[in-house]
Amino acid sequence: MKKFVNDPQQFVPEMLEGLALANPDTLKYVPEYNLIMRADGPDQNKVSIVQGSGSGHEPAHVMIVGKGMLDAACPGDVFAAPPFDYVYETTKLMASPKGVLLLVNNYTGDKMVFEMAQEMSSADGIEVKTLFINDDVSVEDSTYTIGRRGVAGNFFVIKAVAAAAERGADLDEVIRIGEKVNSVTRTMGVALTACTPPAKGSPLFELGADEIEMGVGIHGEPGRRRAKMMPANEIVEEILSPVVKDLPFSDGDRVALMINGLGGTPISELYLLYGQAHKRLAEQGITVGRSYVGEYCTSLDMAGASITLVKLDEEIESLLMDPAEIPIRTF
Amino acid sequence: MTATDLADVEFVVHSLASTAVEKEKEFGDLDAVVGDGDLGYSLARGFEKVLADWDSLKRDDVATFLQQIALAISSRIGGTSGPLWGTAFLRASAAAKTVDTIDGTTVVTMLRAATDGIKARGNADLGDKTLLDALIPATDELERQLAAGASPEECRAAFAAKTRECADGTSVLEAKRGRASYSGERSIGSPDAGAVAVAIIVERIVADWP
Repeated sequence: MKKFVNDPQQFVPEMLEGLALANPDTLKYVPEYNLIMRADGPDQNKVSIVQGSGSGHEPAHVMIVGKGMLDAACPGDVFAAPPFDYVYETTKLMASPKGVLLLVNNYTGDKMVFEMAQEMSSADGIEVKTLFINDDVSVEDSTYTIGRRGVAGNFFVIKAVAAAAERGADLDEVIRIGEKVNSVTRTMGVALTACTPPAKGSPLFELGADEIEMGVGIHGEPGRRRAKMMPANEIVEEILSPVVKDLPFSDGDRVALMINGLGGTPISELYLLYGQAHKRLAEQGITVGRSYVGEYCTSLDMAGASITLVKLDEEIESLLMDPAEIPIRTF
Repeated sequence: MTATDLADVEFVVHSLASTAVEKEKEFGDLDAVVGDGDLGYSLARGFEKVLADWDSLKRDDVATFLQQIALAISSRIGGTSGPLWGTAFLRASAAAKTVDTIDGTTVVTMLRAATDGIKARGNADLGDKTLLDALIPATDELERQLAAGASPEECRAAFAAKTRECADGTSVLEAKRGRASYSGERSIGSPDAGAVAVAIIVERIVADWP
């Protein structure tokens, strides 16, 4: 393994420390709870938006804390749910009179921890709700889930609820918007290589030199099938079609299209995938209203990509267009 | 709420915590048969924290005390055991909030609240080969004994006996939840580690009752 690592146990804290040092005006790091929060937070005049997850998916979610996106992110260790007390303390720190929304991708461990934190902070008198995101169409139940997994599509849920919260929406309204966006967002991914967690030091799963995993999860969980390597356009066909058919997206729809890199794929390849996906959608009468190409929700150093579609209406598109000031968008 | 109520609850929790810490290896070995062997470790770390915090826990009433226990356990137990045991204590705490005294009926209500919490949090039910398969029938038995006018001592003995009987009886079940479920049919023939751990804990509480 060749990685920039000191002590693998300190991988996440050292990353968070670096993130905070690089963004001293906007971010605050609370090492006791792995917490990254807005330096000026919590804003007492809006609903606090908090995302929890394992680490290893950066920039999700610690690098999208900032005005117009998350108020805080509460990560666990690499690919592990945060411990309960981190989430509970985070919820208390982010409490606002307008309430707290905990956003969680649908994985069994995260679900248990966040539901319990919600129950416990509610008992303390904090108004807090939890919203689970499950945009991955590739499999139903999987290694770490009952039901569908939450993957890169959660960026759209985060952006929409955060914009609504900035505009002053109350907690119920923010949840309505989050549920609505989740219900029209669909994703599927493909892995060209396995990923290597720093603490493991070797690839998390076996993938032959000429093999790819269709429908892979963001922790390397199995997807729909293992295939032989094939031309990029054929890969786009195999992962775009299930996404389109699932909602389904159809002639006349206006969508947001995201090509998300899984961590080990050059941006050039992502734009190549984007071009093909955009053209295939146009052929089906589906108009791309907003485009996103880059790394959003990764799986450490895994080579691969996922395609996300969101069905846009006036409300969702307007929320997605609101400004956001986050580390990955700053230059 | 009387001082005796709280003293009894403190005794139960302290005995539970001590057993979980002392039996770390035994519980781990039970779990290693079909699970991943971390049950002993998880419970011991969680309840070790309970014992470490023991003197500083708030004791305003039973509900407050149990809420502190819930927090201490779930802060330290990783995986799914933390939220599950934490939820059990949290729900028992909420059930204790509404009563003036902890009598037999209240204990049944608190146990039901705890098992309902585990069901909801773990998405599990009777027959899934979990500790619920010991705890729920034992709670039913306690309720029957109370209705029949049994003495507190008889109630405790019947509760412990039923917990043991049903824990051992999980041998015939196939694991449907938790890490042991990955073993599927191979889990048949061994009892559920969580259920047996609960039986050992309950037997100890009843044997040592002051």
